[in-house]
Amino acid sequence: MVKTLGWLTALALVVGLLMAFVVAPQVTQGNVQRIMYVHVPLILASYVAFVVLAIASILYLVRRDPAADRLAHASGEVGVVFVGLGIATGSIWGKPTWGTWWTWDARLTSVAILFVMYLGYLLLRGTIDDPERAARYCAVLGIVAALDIPLVHFSVYWWRTLHQPPSLMKPGGFTGSASILWPLLVNLLGFVLLYAYFVARRVRLLRAEAEAVP
Amino acid sequence: MPDNWSFVAAAYALTAAVLFAYWRRLAKKEREVTMRERSNANRSRPTADRSRLTAERSGSTAERSGLSAERSQEPSRTGHPRPDPDSRHSLQ
Amino acid sequence: MSYARRALAVVWKDLAVERRSKETLNALVFFSLLLLFVFQFTLGADRERLAAVLPGVLWLGFVLSALLALGRTFLVEREHDCWEGLLLAPGDKSAIYLGKLLGNLLLMLLVEALVLGLFVVFFDIDLSRALPGLLVVVLLGTLGLAAVGTLFAAMTANVRARELLFPVLLLPVQVPVLLATVKATEALLLGEPLGAVAHWVKLLVAADAVYVVVSLLTFDVVLEG
Repeated sequence: MVKTLGWLTALALVVGLLMAFVVAPQVTQGNVQRIMYVHVPLILASYVAFVVLAIASILYLVRRDPAADRLAHASGEVGVVFVGLGIATGSIWGKPTWGTWWTWDARLTSVAILFVMYLGYLLLRGTIDDPERAARYCAVLGIVAALDIPLVHFSVYWWRTLHQPPSLMKPGGFTGSASILWPLLVNLLGFVLLYAYFVARRVRLLRAEAEAVP
Repeated sequence: MPDNWSFVAAAYALTAAVLFAYWRRLAKKEREVTMRERSNANRSRPTADRSRLTAERSGSTAERSGLSAERSQEPSRTGHPRPDPDSRHSLQ
Repeated sequence: MSYARRALAVVWKDLAVERRSKETLNALVFFSLLLLFVFQFTLGADRERLAAVLPGVLWLGFVLSALLALGRTFLVEREHDCWEGLLLAPGDKSAIYLGKLLGNLLLMLLVEALVLGLFVVFFDIDLSRALPGLLVVVLLGTLGLAAVGTLFAAMTANVRARELLFPVLLLPVQVPVLLATVKATEALLLGEPLGAVAHWVKLLVAADAVYVVVSLLTFDVVLEG
């Protein structure tokens, strides 16, 4: 099952890669814009990861099922990797495009806060030795973080847009044409599948580690 | 802008590198767990068919085969609650 | 014992402990004085720059004191081996949360009043118009900080690297509160009425509601062991 998922993922990613360079056209921004085909899917896939983390956390608190805890852990781990990579690729895209590695616009700030929040989640896991307590505390943190996200979003958005012109930082010219949309969608599928594949393997590994008598 | 290909290459290379590194980390940990499982399975097998003169098997095998059916009281290495010992799955 | 009485019992106990030892209060008072002096050294002469950074500086002071105070919420229980006592407490454990929250609120508001007072006096700031609005914003912001802070303090009480983990967990989650309070304070100090920052106030109210409700619901889970 996991192996099939792995092969499907590889297929989607390879096709996506080809499409990003062959099918996708060059836009006004230049070839740099092709970074979008990894940057956006990474970020969106990380959102999926954090939603799954939130749901798994609630499930754990309600049912106390270790499987839910393992899912939350794995999802958090992969989510942090993806969002960190998303921020890095966004930064690399930003330097030639806007002239700067970083800017405190609404979206970047929100994503950076997201990254730090879930990094904290992993840190909390790492510092608690007792497995049952770690599961409980991380579930609570996962729920608090998830509920906080809309608040973060609004506060940062208002901070950047009120009494100030809205951020003009939009990824170059999304006209919605098919030749841009399809590579993006295929890559998005590829990265979501990659997330699922990583989580599946991580969950399986966590289960095996928990079972193995030291 | 010909220069910017270096940025594209950097972004894609970084992505590939990080994801590959994570994939390798998973594979490495899976190997470790499989080896640990195998050595545990070896230890808990009955000693009737093993030579008593083997120095490595130091007498406590019988205890361990008694313990392996219960849940270990030590903290789990991953920080997760231990699953029911009757529901073991191998990694493949 | 009724729920409310249990909560108040916790507040009373903590206040009594604090009144005798005065540890936390002393630390916070000295910290406030330090803040005051440092800002006088760096910005005292330049009135305009001072006015521009004052909201941020003020809330920086509030937040850092909050971290200090909140991080010590369960210090007494932990140091004197009373943690199990909390775990074994009968009935709804969220009463303990409420008690701790109230205690933290009182302490934080006291320190904030002190810091604000010191700043007003030493930097000659005119608060007459801004004060009512400022009180609302400070109260809401402090509640937000304390609500999550008390919950996280319980979660990190018995954990390794507690002093590092607590701010790392708390501050990203508190960004909405920090943004809202600083921007609202900024506007108020510039003379705008409270109505002009209504959206920030509404955000604070929503945030406080979410934080308190979630903490009340999950505190029992944290104190399971």
